[in-house]
Amino acid sequence: MVFITAEEILETVRMIQAENLDVRAVTMGISLGDCAGRDADIVGRRVYEKVSRLACDLVPVAQSIQRKYGIPIVNRRISVTPIAHVLGSDDPTDFVRVAHALDAAAQAVGVDFVGGFSALVQKGFTRTDDALIRAIPEAICETRAVCSSVNVASTRAGINMDAVTRMADVLLDVSRRTADRDSIGCAKIVTFCNVPEDNPFMAGALHGSGEPEVSINVAISGPGVVRNVVANNPGVSFTELADLIKRTAFKITRVGELVGREASRLLGAQMGIIDLSLAPTPAVGDSIAEILECMGLQRAGAPGSTAALALLNDAVKKGGTMATSSTGGLSGAFIPVSEDAALAAAAREGVLSIEKLEAMTAVCSLGLDMIVVPGDISRAALAGTIADVMAIGMVNSKTTGARLIPAAGKQVGDWVELGGLFGAGPVMPVSAARSDEFVARGGRIPAPLQSLRN
Amino acid sequence: MRTSVIVTALGPDRHGLLAAVATTVAGQNANVDDVSQTVSNGMFTMIMFVSFDETETTMAGLQAALEITGEETGLQIHVQHEDIFKFMHRI
Repeated sequence: MVFITAEEILETVRMIQAENLDVRAVTMGISLGDCAGRDADIVGRRVYEKVSRLACDLVPVAQSIQRKYGIPIVNRRISVTPIAHVLGSDDPTDFVRVAHALDAAAQAVGVDFVGGFSALVQKGFTRTDDALIRAIPEAICETRAVCSSVNVASTRAGINMDAVTRMADVLLDVSRRTADRDSIGCAKIVTFCNVPEDNPFMAGALHGSGEPEVSINVAISGPGVVRNVVANNPGVSFTELADLIKRTAFKITRVGELVGREASRLLGAQMGIIDLSLAPTPAVGDSIAEILECMGLQRAGAPGSTAALALLNDAVKKGGTMATSSTGGLSGAFIPVSEDAALAAAAREGVLSIEKLEAMTAVCSLGLDMIVVPGDISRAALAGTIADVMAIGMVNSKTTGARLIPAAGKQVGDWVELGGLFGAGPVMPVSAARSDEFVARGGRIPAPLQSLRN
Repeated sequence: MRTSVIVTALGPDRHGLLAAVATTVAGQNANVDDVSQTVSNGMFTMIMFVSFDETETTMAGLQAALEITGEETGLQIHVQHEDIFKFMHRI
């Protein structure tokens, strides 16, 4: 028997019971390559049959693992092959039909979200990409569980500015369609640069073309655990602090590794990746901003915030990498404003701006995430903001995403309740300076020199 | 197959807490392999290494029985498979 000390046992119990340690998501990735076709009804039937068959045990298996190890598994989710690669149609209504099939399958197996209503258009649009993007507003607003993502940029291809503008149009459309619910539909749409093929987090999960038939990807969490470690060690140097965070990240990641191995074994799926991310929730204490504040910043957004986040992000990755050989997904600290109560509070007080968040995203995951902007934001301002986030990802060879919510009828300073894990946040100001002529140029921003790595 | 779990119990101290937990474990045909307990500032903390044969009892059965004991004694009782502790603290 491996000897475990009483302190180690009680530390584990405390992390779970008092510090909100959990596994954020167990996501089953399913290839839909063999469901492909041109007829939406046939494809929809195949998609429903395959997803509901392969994922039928996902929820009960996750529940049994949760009970066995006493570790909460908060979400059970499914990601699928980008639907633009599955349905060969140029009619958006066909794509909406497949979205309904995905939604029905999600409901049948009891998962909360299914990701992959997606297209990859960083270099240009196929006819099916075009139809899928036109279908997004209807697909998102008519379904409960379906999430959509579109990759509009990459380090290798540059930024497809036509796609950026079209995503701005999509968001404004979804904002209007879900105006009665503070435009919540936009929270299920991510615009990506360098989209990962194995991301377990929603709304941006998809099952990439290099993935196996079925895989299990695990999203760890644990901002509350890291926060307490930082809070309990005031005044230690940055070197010591980084070391403490690394040790903690190791332990958190090992839980994900254990859950991933067991879930993949029980479900007969290939073990995919562990996503080394710190993902906050609106619960008090389960916050990235609170970690920064415990480091000595009065509020997230204060001078030093980007440096603090860089330290945190790096230490989490170093500690996590020691704990698993299967890293992937987004792997970094998230800064989703509405989902992190202390980030939202800093934004409401005006000490955290979109511009500061943009700087912070250069050193962490994921981008401008869950940020509420005025409902009357112009198409050009929205597209310009998305393009800025894409540029950071493109130049730094990293994944960035934009999940912006133009809240219909809301103005700067209004408070928007999105509900549940989406949280709540203030409507944040976007620069009033116009970018219409810039955005109207269209075409593609060329790939940077660092794309030539061979 | 033999399953090893770790039972932790925390709560305000009073007479008979260790006995109550041990009695429930025995009632479930599980064996106490090792136990340690302390009382500090009136707080009872107990760690019990328990094993059982899966043909005689189940994790769910043990958890359900100890949940009742927890409600009766005012203790927070957790039953977790030992692998989570091994994985978290050892490579």
